Amino acid sequence: MSNEVMSLGIIFSFVLFATVIGMLPGLKEKMSLEGWAIGGRGFGRWLSWFILAGEIYTAFAFLGASGWAYARGGPTFYILGYGGLAYMASYWILPAVSPIGKKFHLMTQPDFIQHRYSDKWLGVVVACIGVAFLVPYLQLQLTGLGLIVETCSYGLIGRNAAMMMAFVMVAAFVYLSGLKGVATTAVIKDVIMIVAVAFFGLYLPFHYFGGLGPMFEAIDAAKPGFLALPGGTKNLDVSWFMSTLMLTSLGFYMWPHIFANSFSAKDPDVLRHNAVFLPLYQICMLFPMLIGFTALMILVPALKTPDMAFMTIVQQTLPGWALGLVGGAGALACMIPAADLLLTMSMLFSRNVVGKSMNIHDDHTLMAKMAKLVVLGATGVALALAIFAPSMLVELLLTGYSGVTQFFPMIVLGLFWGKSTRTAAWVSLVVGEAIVFTLILGKMDPFAIAGMNLNAGFVALVVNLIVFVLVSLATFKGTDSQAWKA
Amino acid sequence: MKLNRVIITLIPFIWSVGMVPFVNKSKPIIMGLPFLAFWEVAGIFVAFACIGALYHLDQQDKKK
Repeated sequence: MSNEVMSLGIIFSFVLFATVIGMLPGLKEKMSLEGWAIGGRGFGRWLSWFILAGEIYTAFAFLGASGWAYARGGPTFYILGYGGLAYMASYWILPAVSPIGKKFHLMTQPDFIQHRYSDKWLGVVVACIGVAFLVPYLQLQLTGLGLIVETCSYGLIGRNAAMMMAFVMVAAFVYLSGLKGVATTAVIKDVIMIVAVAFFGLYLPFHYFGGLGPMFEAIDAAKPGFLALPGGTKNLDVSWFMSTLMLTSLGFYMWPHIFANSFSAKDPDVLRHNAVFLPLYQICMLFPMLIGFTALMILVPALKTPDMAFMTIVQQTLPGWALGLVGGAGALACMIPAADLLLTMSMLFSRNVVGKSMNIHDDHTLMAKMAKLVVLGATGVALALAIFAPSMLVELLLTGYSGVTQFFPMIVLGLFWGKSTRTAAWVSLVVGEAIVFTLILGKMDPFAIAGMNLNAGFVALVVNLIVFVLVSLATFKGTDSQAWKA
Repeated sequence: MKLNRVIITLIPFIWSVGMVPFVNKSKPIIMGLPFLAFWEVAGIFVAFACIGALYHLDQQDKKK
């Protein structure tokens, strides 16, 4: 069998298998809105684990981490560091949100914010911002998938065709099965993904250098300083590294789709227990980096697109089945997070933006219908964006990350500090987002100040926190209403 | 003890973020990893241990 056919066969069977498994929950039972959107609040340790873990290994982990290692070296290691810190933050945040969600029937992040500050329009605005940041993130998954399938099928399937086929399947199983579909396919995705990255991440350095140590010795000798900060960059230095770790770890659970884990878990203890073991999962992030570092030393001539490092080195080293494995695992790594993003976007849009502003959110039959239609609409929008306005992978992710992290003060201080006020939430949100947009769109990320190069989102977060506290103190009336608590 | 919990929470942040200025180097290579990467991987285990300790404290409180 030729390499092309072999590779294509493997990719197809992975994608098809996952889609069929993803459709099963929806075909077996008729789901209520709560069952569809948040798995009926019934996820135990395993499903809760895989839905979360499924959100970590995305197109970025696959192509971006190896591309960063290839092009930038040392700064990439922030990806190893933020996970454990994010789970430490989650240990405090999620179990506190979960019982409130259950008692007051909350299903989304804007639901929670609206409930905490008894402010309908704050919820609507937060939902709009959430959708705005999820769209580029969804598009990123699509673009990644197109790139992966095109390369791994040796160009037999063009990227646009690949994106369209894969996303019709994603839309189908999200439409039918909702979050349960995402969770079951996430199990398959994670197993395949980890086998693939661990295999290549260890095989390639051993194949070319006889081990990890010798490979890094060789890189350090050829490019002194590349493996520390700022590595292959000018300004991603120690201060950037530290501020980025803070931003990504505090902001991780501020992504609307990741925050929603608070609502799908059966009880707070599921969330606590998983927070203990999730850090260990972060070790898997090392493997794509190892592949990127191998590519740096082996590939001649140098790549124009660093994100291609993973696939190019596998293609040069191994036969078709290996590229098929990369393609299949990579396609799933884009499809499953995309499914989760689609689901969350559709809930934010139908329930929080349209439903709440028009006061029709209690009509669950209507809401379920609308949410499912939005899944189809959003798929179309993301496809159009990916085909007509594609761009580089990591920048999009970093903009969105800084943006959603601006929810941190109103959510976390709101949870633990009784003096938090509605006015503070509004003012600090506007200030935080304004700084994010000014700095990142003005090409001032990282932000140079006092000899440091700070992550722009981190700068915005610090100002946001200060503003939140000051405005809260100024506007707090001395009556701490406990009505929002469980 | 509330204070214990706060300290345990801060340890991984001090390890993985606070110590970066002192561990920003490629040598020595430990367990096949450049020193900065090794440090951050070790941070994963520090976080695991600390979150585990919090969980343990919470389970003990529940039994009382």
